[in-house]
Amino acid sequence: MVLEALEREGVEYIFGYPGGANLPIYQHLPEHPKLKHILVRHEQGAAHMADGYARACGKPGVVFATSGPGALNLVTGLCTAYMDSVPMIAITGQVNSTQVGRDAFQESDVIGATSSVTKHSYLVTKIDQLPRVIHEAFHIATTGRPGPVLIDICKDVQQADAERVTPERLQIPGYKLNGHVDLGHARQAARALAEAERPVILAGHGVLLSHAEAQLQELAEAAASPVGTTLLGIGAFPVKHPLSLHMTGFMGTGWNLKAVQDADLLMMVGMRVDDRVTARLAGFAPKVKTFIHIDIDGSEMGKNVRPHIELVADAKQALEAMLPHIDHLDAGRSTWLNQIDAWREEHPLRYKHSNGRLQPQDVLIEMYRRAHSRAIVVADVGQNQIWAALWWNYDRPGLFINSGGSGTMGFALPAALGAKFARPELPVWCVAGEGGFVMTAQELSVAVEHQLDVKIVLLNNFSLGMVRQFQDDFYGGVRSQVDLTHMPDFVKLAEAYGLPALRVEKFEDIAPAFDAAERTKGPFLIDFRIDPEANVYPIVPLGKSLNEFWEAPENA
Amino acid sequence: MPETAPPSGSARHLPMNGEDKTVVLSVVVEDGPNTLTKVTGVIRRRGFHVLSITVGPSHEPGRSRLILQIDHGHAEADQVRKQLERLVEVVEIEDLTGHDLHSRELVVAKVAPAALEGLLERGAKVLMSGKDTTTIEFSGEAADVGDFVDELARHGIVDVVRSGPVVMRRTA
Ligand SMILES: Cc1ncc(C[n+]2csc(CCOP(=O)(O)OP(=O)(O)O)c2C)c(N)n1
Ligand SMILES: [Mg+2]
Repeated sequence: MVLEALEREGVEYIFGYPGGANLPIYQHLPEHPKLKHILVRHEQGAAHMADGYARACGKPGVVFATSGPGALNLVTGLCTAYMDSVPMIAITGQVNSTQVGRDAFQESDVIGATSSVTKHSYLVTKIDQLPRVIHEAFHIATTGRPGPVLIDICKDVQQADAERVTPERLQIPGYKLNGHVDLGHARQAARALAEAERPVILAGHGVLLSHAEAQLQELAEAAASPVGTTLLGIGAFPVKHPLSLHMTGFMGTGWNLKAVQDADLLMMVGMRVDDRVTARLAGFAPKVKTFIHIDIDGSEMGKNVRPHIELVADAKQALEAMLPHIDHLDAGRSTWLNQIDAWREEHPLRYKHSNGRLQPQDVLIEMYRRAHSRAIVVADVGQNQIWAALWWNYDRPGLFINSGGSGTMGFALPAALGAKFARPELPVWCVAGEGGFVMTAQELSVAVEHQLDVKIVLLNNFSLGMVRQFQDDFYGGVRSQVDLTHMPDFVKLAEAYGLPALRVEKFEDIAPAFDAAERTKGPFLIDFRIDPEANVYPIVPLGKSLNEFWEAPENA
Repeated sequence: MPETAPPSGSARHLPMNGEDKTVVLSVVVEDGPNTLTKVTGVIRRRGFHVLSITVGPSHEPGRSRLILQIDHGHAEADQVRKQLERLVEVVEIEDLTGHDLHSRELVVAKVAPAALEGLLERGAKVLMSGKDTTTIEFSGEAADVGDFVDELARHGIVDVVRSGPVVMRRTA
């Protein structure tokens, strides 16, 4: 019944792990060859794989896990997807309905444990609920602001025989979709943008989710307004576009932060405006007279920043509705755009590459030179993530995948494998720190088993680099519990899993290693032993405003 | 018997009609095993605080109505409604904050017979008379209920139960 429903929803891949409470489903799995099941090595890996799959192709990722420990191992992955609005369906086995509440073997309150990290969840105790629930779950996961939906199915329900029922028409009275754009507000927003002297547009993940990149570019060009993106919005606007401000937020580019702090109008599209974007909230965009906020989730309005004009709508529709009203600009833009160009000159992204050690930026620049905009980069969390965000010139949507909201270490490898399942035609690069990598490294077996052509770029700095940097910069220079000298030999580790690998310690060896990786079909790992002192700059010190960012030293 | 209790401590005058930081919501939800935990979960997770909650069946089968009085903490007041609206279990929300409201609350109390007369004068009704105690009920607007409970406290309460307010917009 479950499997038939999944077929009906057009599911191709399931990332899962069996156990006592979902055995009835697994018993029938071989009868459904259209459903390709990927046996992960840890349920967290399944959740991240489904997440990477969904982010890469837009279809919901599907996960199976058994009750108790199996389901609870999904929690971090569900949270990661929830924070970043990724559509996912998690189907967990639950003990028999007659056993619920008796502390049965491997019973846990999965709904309770996951309700704060799912968009919605269901406990299914009767077979006749199942078709409706599965159909609803896919609808809820994929529409509006997407998110993970969990279906906890009692084991006896999985075994129950039932007439094959197709679900009735969807009727979910409590599920409200914000569809239509308030045209008055759209006009007002457009006029405000056209009238502003120093406008800035910031684009978030919502622009990518709604495929509004073309509309965004058209609007930005019509309004001659510079555009920055959030970490999750990377790809929403071409980094090399003359109006691009690149990434915003507390590790954003200097010229972006200068522009945000000096803007008189800020239009925020498809984003949550969280503390990583605003830094010190009271000091955020202090000169702005008009905040415009576009988001499909009405609860984002005023959650962090109270907008003057709000558009609760899909980003694409909202931008489309604004476009006709930008037929003329009321203010000249040249002063503002010249000012931004000056800031771009004054505060470029820079790094130290003359100290004889391998610099992470050199690795990424070489990677980009080869891949251009024809590869997906999946980053982990930490310094590696920010380097991968800043040192690639993403000029197309959907090429950069990372855990922005939750910042889940261990995300990259399984998510990269999921992305590869979703987009087999595209090269997929996994960029990770050694700390995060070992959190889910067991999924290398999946890469080898399916000979997934994923190239793993370890930026190995022998430490929890981001935490080390915070300790150095903001916590009195006390290095506490961040040393990772004792780690496996990653080349041998890769070989033990059955994939080829290389170690690189010198600048000259970067290109040959990438040559070897590209020549190899299937997974490949490169252990780049980078400068352990390399840092992420710019960075805004904790508790400070965006304009107080620190930069890498000049002429380094 | 406890000493005469200080009135302010005994009667919690629930802030109504948009007093500081309080929002009053009338929420229709789908009945289900997870509904109440999900509603209270959102309130807790967003840093809000429940001042009162009453639940009863709505006039539509399969749905209940909650009357919530919530302290919205450091968030903006409308966040409470918006965050609750995101729940699929929530069908409808009316924000009653700041509106003219009918607000009624029921009190059932056990009192010593000596206290009875004054309470009956205030409009209490006797539910049951016993040898040592009499059980009474009283209902009224929030402020009246507060005063009534203060009065109870002065006489020494044996036992008291309050329903929490039920609220409806005052429209003709
Ligand atoms: C699961 C989890 N635990 C802890 C953290 C906190 N944290 C953020 S970055 C970081 C260091 C990551 O080290 P590594 O993976 O080696 O990456 P690097 O910063 O060195 O590039 C830590 C511990 C986190 N984000 N996720
Ligand atoms: Mg590291």
